[in-house]
Amino acid sequence: MMTDPLELPSGGRRPRLFFDLEETGFNEVPKRFRRFYRRWRGAGDKLGPNEALCPVCKVVIRSTKELRAGDRVYCMPCMSRLELVEEEGMLIAKVIY
Amino acid sequence: MAQGDNPHDLDEAEFRATVHSFEFWFEAVEGYLHGRPYGVSPGLQDIELSERQRQGLIMTLCNYCVGETAALDASSGMIGFAPDRGAKIFLATQVVDEGRHLEVLLHRMKQLGVADPDAEIAQRANRSLLKFKDRLLDFVDARDWEASVFAQNVILECLEFTVFRHHAGTADPVTAEMLRGIVSDERRHMGFGENDLGRRLLTAPHTHDRLCKIKRELDSLVLDTFAETMGELGIEHDDRPDLAGDYLAAVARLGFGA
Repeated sequence: MMTDPLELPSGGRRPRLFFDLEETGFNEVPKRFRRFYRRWRGAGDKLGPNEALCPVCKVVIRSTKELRAGDRVYCMPCMSRLELVEEEGMLIAKVIY
Repeated sequence: MAQGDNPHDLDEAEFRATVHSFEFWFEAVEGYLHGRPYGVSPGLQDIELSERQRQGLIMTLCNYCVGETAALDASSGMIGFAPDRGAKIFLATQVVDEGRHLEVLLHRMKQLGVADPDAEIAQRANRSLLKFKDRLLDFVDARDWEASVFAQNVILECLEFTVFRHHAGTADPVTAEMLRGIVSDERRHMGFGENDLGRRLLTAPHTHDRLCKIKRELDSLVLDTFAETMGELGIEHDDRPDLAGDYLAAVARLGFGA
């Protein structure tokens, strides 16, 4: 995990965290995209700050940067476009059609 | 990381063109099917099932075959009236997936000692699922894109995704690995349906009422099929997967209440 030195705090917000992604064994998309996804490991699993759970196919989507409300990500395994929204203090992914 | 490998950097048109392509499909299925004849790793040992377990599994596989045959017939028919080239290409990949599913399920039935799978399927098929299949093929015959996508890629695929995923968690190792490969395919089919229909409903909101009627008609068939399948697998009520968590959540996202 690293902080982007070029992204300076503005408006009191701390800079985003950045992440190096490694493959986790997820094999349902072409090789070059595999590190951006991982399997959901069930009830005991926790999402990292750079991760979101796809509501359509229950795969974990990963980003190289910390995710925040308003960010858009893609779930390639089920071909969905998602937007991160904050609801009751939690960041969740919603499908955008 | 090589330039252009971050999927989240793609614009929407690029993303859709990428995931609806045969190129994407080839590289995706290679990950979980390569080196696995009939969807199963060569070294994986079958375990001995009791006669009751064997009969229950054969019954379940017969119904999976009905669902997969319905999806094979429907998706191949839908190519002829798909609204754009991307959808036609995607459906062509789905046809291949469905044909493979049917093949691996029939192969598994033969491994379980079923000499004539067609006769077995005819004898054991769930009535609600057969009715569902007939309705789905009616929509395809009428070249009704919205109803076909809704019935097949949202309702049927969601049902299969939920049941197969749960079954893979409790099945013998060979059946489980075969089912996990099918679930990986179902993700694409289900996502295609929800996203295609979601976009369509935004531009043609009047479609909503028509699909709502179809949903009401098909709901009981889907839920009956689900309950029967869970019964065949010997899964107690309290241990059954939450179909509501997948199917009803998917239709709710599209604006259809319970």
